[in-house]
Amino acid sequence: MRIPSQLAIIFAICLAGEFLHRIVGVPLPGNIIGMVLLLILLCLKVLKPEQISGVSGFFLNHLALFFLPPSIAIMAVGDDILAKWPLLLVLCITFTLVTIAAGGLTTQFLIRLQEKREGTARNNGGKE
Amino acid sequence: MNELVNTPLFGILLTLVAFEIGVLVSKKWKLAILNPILIANVLIVGFLLTTGISLESYNIGGNYISVLLSPATVVLAVPLYRQISKLKQFWKPILAGIAIGSLTSIACVIFFSKLFGLGRTLMLSLLPKSITIPMGSVVSEQIGGIPSVTIIAITVTGITGAVAAPVVCRFCRIKNRVAQGIAIGTASHALGTTKAMEMGEVQGAMSSLSIGLAGLFTAIVAPIIVTWF
Repeated sequence: MRIPSQLAIIFAICLAGEFLHRIVGVPLPGNIIGMVLLLILLCLKVLKPEQISGVSGFFLNHLALFFLPPSIAIMAVGDDILAKWPLLLVLCITFTLVTIAAGGLTTQFLIRLQEKREGTARNNGGKE
Repeated sequence: MNELVNTPLFGILLTLVAFEIGVLVSKKWKLAILNPILIANVLIVGFLLTTGISLESYNIGGNYISVLLSPATVVLAVPLYRQISKLKQFWKPILAGIAIGSLTSIACVIFFSKLFGLGRTLMLSLLPKSITIPMGSVVSEQIGGIPSVTIIAITVTGITGAVAAPVVCRFCRIKNRVAQGIAIGTASHALGTTKAMEMGEVQGAMSSLSIGLAGLFTAIVAPIIVTWF
């Protein structure tokens, strides 16, 4: 598919997401709704990943670029917050490390538990 | 000069140049702390402060790039779709991991805000700091936080995740690729996901899956939890 057509599809999905958020009142940001919509279209085989690969590849390969301008808002913090900034920085960093560890260890533990169970079940079945 | 600075072209050019320098530097010296966003952020903020150009002037162009955040979020469905079989197989561990991760982040913010006496407004502003910027700023506003502070906290969190995720995974012996992706996406949204994508497609997909699910979970749970404290 030509790039303008791919872009039109993606932006139409974005706009549909905004419609569901702003007009219908789905309590999720429009772009997240859009992601779900595209996922549904892919799962239903209405769209194939190859048909939008030019545009999706561009956005996915340079994802960080689109988060750069909002991050510059760091300039606009007030003095009262600025005074607490070193503490907030340490807290934010620490919380993130703890969250990664908690989420990762929980997931890994449960995956291994499930794999062990399924492995045992399969062995007991004795068919393979 | 003001006329030039106040065209969208200025903010767009500054963003692109700073970003490319950031990518170039991070590729040349493969130090984790030299994150492209971190470098580009410091370059742009430094440039604006040195020249005295306002954030508003920068945003005239910067907003054009921010708009593309929306399609960039939408196409996260593509790696997600490619990993959907993994999602089906491990949906219980994945959902549990995302829920525990999100609750850990929220619990940390509430406990330490009380411990250090940060005040309610700041606590509410930090609460959605692990979720993606568009969702987090909306949640912050909804529960009574300051969206701009939330955006900064989210950015710091994301940079931390992008910088430190591989180290935390190694330190905690999180070796499973699905678990790595879930951990990174739950803790540090799309900024962390850029690192997860560098680590591999499974990690990238699981991380981008977690952005939506952790965001959704936090958006639902945060307004309920704050009524208890």
